[in-house]
Amino acid sequence: MQEVAFTFANAIAYVEAAIGAGLPVDDFAPRVSFFFVAQNNLFEEVAKFRAARRMWAKIMKERFGAQDPRSMMLRFHAQTAGVTLTAQQPDINLIRCTVQALAAVLGGSQSLHVNSRDEALALPTEESAQLSLRTQQILAFESGAADVVDPLGGSYYVESLTNQLEDAAFKYLERIEEMGGAVDAIEQGFQMREIGESAYQHRREVEAGERTIVGVNQYVTDEPPFEGLLQLDPEAAQQQIQRVQRLRKERDDSQVQAALKRLNVVAQGSDNTVPAILECVESYCTLGEISQVFRDVFGEQEQMASF
Amino acid sequence: MTQSRNPIRVLVAKPGLDGHDRGAKVIARALRDSGMEVIYTGIRQTPQMIVQAAIQEDVDVLGMSILSGAHLEILPGIMELLREEGLSDIVVIVGGIIPESDRQPLLDLGISGVFGPGTSTSAIAEFIETKIEERGVR
Repeated sequence: MQEVAFTFANAIAYVEAAIGAGLPVDDFAPRVSFFFVAQNNLFEEVAKFRAARRMWAKIMKERFGAQDPRSMMLRFHAQTAGVTLTAQQPDINLIRCTVQALAAVLGGSQSLHVNSRDEALALPTEESAQLSLRTQQILAFESGAADVVDPLGGSYYVESLTNQLEDAAFKYLERIEEMGGAVDAIEQGFQMREIGESAYQHRREVEAGERTIVGVNQYVTDEPPFEGLLQLDPEAAQQQIQRVQRLRKERDDSQVQAALKRLNVVAQGSDNTVPAILECVESYCTLGEISQVFRDVFGEQEQMASF
Repeated sequence: MTQSRNPIRVLVAKPGLDGHDRGAKVIARALRDSGMEVIYTGIRQTPQMIVQAAIQEDVDVLGMSILSGAHLEILPGIMELLREEGLSDIVVIVGGIIPESDRQPLLDLGISGVFGPGTSTSAIAEFIETKIEERGVR
């Protein structure tokens, strides 16, 4: 509910900015896409995706007057929930990820990332990443879960959960609107406080034993450290530094400086910065140099380090 | 020096470039709820920024959270800076995504405690209280 409301508050801010820049809504809205998490609670997650789809269609149609049906479609990617991965008994994360991925499929995700079992401990190994891919393939080609659109539509439980979530998310979105929208709410620290609050509540419930996490606060086993974690090549950083140094030596420095200067000028105006960025890339400017131009022009986000 | 009952002062810091501070904030809040005074630096701090903050805030404990895997690159420099500034009595603890095999090298740097994912916040609070008591002078 919080996730959906925060996401749409941001999306509304982007759509308003694009309209404010003079773009007709149906010219760009068909290309807007979303990124959601797929959490553990199977039916709640399916209902969340269903509610989000309805909400986006209403927002685009009623608020922004979109006419093109593609502007009202919620295209989204889902990633299984990194926060649910446990360092304890890492193999059981495969099962968590399967349930979460199933929720994304049943909820109509167009694109899916399944996390790996060892990601609470390190970057995943190739073997772990392959197990994640196989999870997707079993869901896609063996389970039949992806064969129909909205397979849980009409289920009393899922329909009522969808209604509840839509209602709650619209109310929460209204609170953000009352603060002046997503940008003002961010500046007031609202989202950060709310997310911090729910993270802390979750942790408190786990530690108090009110919420079961298998392998963490229930069904704990003594286990040796997980073997075979990905080891990063200590040489890799050095090699990359050398590559950048070589690049800086070999490129045409006057071309680099001219491209960065042009980007700086464009960034200070209201024109599209992408052609100027492309020119920088073609002149072999580094990502750091290009980002620095934007930091010089716009500054950096001021953190609110409250908790 | 007499034993005072002043609350333990803790600096929670995020060195390096990873932006994952959900855990750091949960721990900051749990330590505050257990009666400590907690300051949180925010993300993307340099070793110099962290050590300066530790000096200015006059902390007893420095807790750092690293989820990028760069702990062995970042922490030796911070420990060195603390020594240079004469702050070796600060209790330093580290948490995040830290492989078991890196635990001993970190302890060898003078870090008091290394806490992996799933550690309970009360265990961390107890660890700090014990260490501060061992250190004695407050």
